Amino acid sequence: MRKYFTVFAIDWQNQFIYRLNFILWRFRNVLRVLMTYYLWISIFSSQTSVFGYTKEQMIAYLLLALFISSLVTSSPSNDNVGGEVSNGTLNNFLVKPIGYLRYWFTRDLSSKLINIIFAVGEISLLYIIFRPSLYVSPNLISLLLLVSAVIIYFLLGKLAISIVFWAPENTWGFMFTILVLMEMFTGLIFPLDLLPHWAFSTLQFTPFPYLIYFPLASIIGKPVDLRILLQSFVWMGILYYLLKKVWAKGLKTYSASGI
Amino acid sequence: MAVIEVKNLKKYYKVHQKEPGLSGSIKSLFHRKYYDVKAVDNVSFEIGEGELVGFIGPNGAGKTTTLKVLSGLLYPTSGFVTALGYTPWDRKPAYQKQFSLVMGQKNQLWWDLPAIESFILNKEIYEVPDAQYKKTLDGLVELLDVKDILKVQVRKLSLGQRMKMELIASLIHSPKILFLDEPTIGLDVVMQKKMRDFIKSYNKKYNATIILTSHYMDDVKELCQRVVIIDKGKLIFDGALDEIIKKYADHKLITVVFGDEVKSQQLAKFGQIKEFEYPKAVISVKRSEAPKIAARILEDFTVEDVNIEEPQIEDIIREVFTGKDFA
Ligand SMILES: Nc1ncnc2c1ncn2[C@@H]1O[C@H](COP(=O)(O)OP(=O)(O)OP(=O)(O)O)[C@@H](O)[C@H]1O
Ligand SMILES: [Mg+2]
Repeated sequence: MRKYFTVFAIDWQNQFIYRLNFILWRFRNVLRVLMTYYLWISIFSSQTSVFGYTKEQMIAYLLLALFISSLVTSSPSNDNVGGEVSNGTLNNFLVKPIGYLRYWFTRDLSSKLINIIFAVGEISLLYIIFRPSLYVSPNLISLLLLVSAVIIYFLLGKLAISIVFWAPENTWGFMFTILVLMEMFTGLIFPLDLLPHWAFSTLQFTPFPYLIYFPLASIIGKPVDLRILLQSFVWMGILYYLLKKVWAKGLKTYSASGI
Repeated sequence: MAVIEVKNLKKYYKVHQKEPGLSGSIKSLFHRKYYDVKAVDNVSFEIGEGELVGFIGPNGAGKTTTLKVLSGLLYPTSGFVTALGYTPWDRKPAYQKQFSLVMGQKNQLWWDLPAIESFILNKEIYEVPDAQYKKTLDGLVELLDVKDILKVQVRKLSLGQRMKMELIASLIHSPKILFLDEPTIGLDVVMQKKMRDFIKSYNKKYNATIILTSHYMDDVKELCQRVVIIDKGKLIFDGALDEIIKKYADHKLITVVFGDEVKSQQLAKFGQIKEFEYPKAVISVKRSEAPKIAARILEDFTVEDVNIEEPQIEDIIREVFTGKDFA
């Protein structure tokens, strides 16, 4: 356990090296919020409520989406693991008594912490500028949903990346597609309950809404019950099991072919 | 007792044949042709505690592949391997804590941080107690003379300095076994010498078992009592360095410095002329006839100096590699 604390501490230091990169990445986040904000403002210019959301609720939703996506989707492992497997850096870890995925999960956590700190700053700023009426009522379920979301996002990403074991040359496009698709259905861009009922309930059978939408809905006081939490946990369990299997198989291929 | 035991080790890489061009790529999606690369082909050897063994062989011989199998990175195609009683590819932490794989080109240091941070991380990964860590680090830092660059960002170090740091990072857990894959590659002659001295003293001090691959014969000559030569995946020699000379060198070199004009034609009858630039000539002659021929040269010409030598180990090994069939 201690070794992972050290990983966290070192990654934390390392993050301050690429300040410009980091600032640009944060800027991208804010920009996305502003863009969606103006999109919604233009929609609300002709009507006062859209699918039951008032303008204020929508803005609150988007601001919190910024916060939650900082927590859930900031995940440098998604950008690095594939490359490290295909260029053989993974070897450095396979000869050492450390778990490679745990190592990256720890580094992700370190990145999440710094992103949250910044997100709080940005949100305060946006709050001061737009002065939306924010109503939040987080509870224990919201918290557990958030934890589950962080883990599901990590597992999903690594599961998609595992393809690199079998196709080391061309994974980037694949990863990108997956990530964009994921973002669409997570609730980052719009509240998923705007969708037609059938679409919304179908989505519940995928892991995506558990990443942003449900934790967020729970925080802004929408009725999100234990059943949803349970489903989130089930997804976490399924993905954990799948990743364990797929990764072990991948490592076997890796060790046979010596990428 | 053998620390490392390798029996009939085979490692065949399955490589799929890709035809060039787009149509080739598409074809290979549906129908892949595979062929085997026999990187290691039925190799056996044993290594005892404290031995320092040199692995040599031309490019693509299978040296790195063997070291990767021994460190558990690769599953063998067949064969039996144990090291310290463990099967390497089980990747048991208990085994991992006792060896280190050092590759010349490998990079395990955090590029943007001072090397000391990577050392601390390895200390934790290998669960080295504080006191032992301090002692080991101090020892290594002194041996390699890197005290004043410990706090410098790794990216700002020279290649040689970085190699030293890589080495320290690999040794923080005081491994009993070292796999060194071309540890002196890319270093200048002074650094090469330092690295060799270091490897020698590490071997002595910790009674560590070391396998080293290198393309520099100086490394092998200076460090290894025993060498293993592999070529095209097959083991072709395993024994003391001197034995290579005995086994493969069927000739000796006579170096003569003449006092008078000599034509190369006059020398050709004695043996193969390796070098001739008046007044000096180097002639390769049959081992058994060397004394006789030397005497005749002294008789026939005015000679200022004569010398009978064993051939250079480099030359013998080059001959072994380039397919003079010794088997
Ligand atoms: N991952 C791989 N997939 C397919 N073939 C491989 C792979 N790695 C190595 N080979 C092949 O296996 C053979 C042995 O390679 P290896 O790296 O063990 O040689 P080496 O003795 O270390 O050579 P060098 O002195 O050049 O480092 C070579 O023919 C090489 O092309
Ligand atoms: Mg090699």
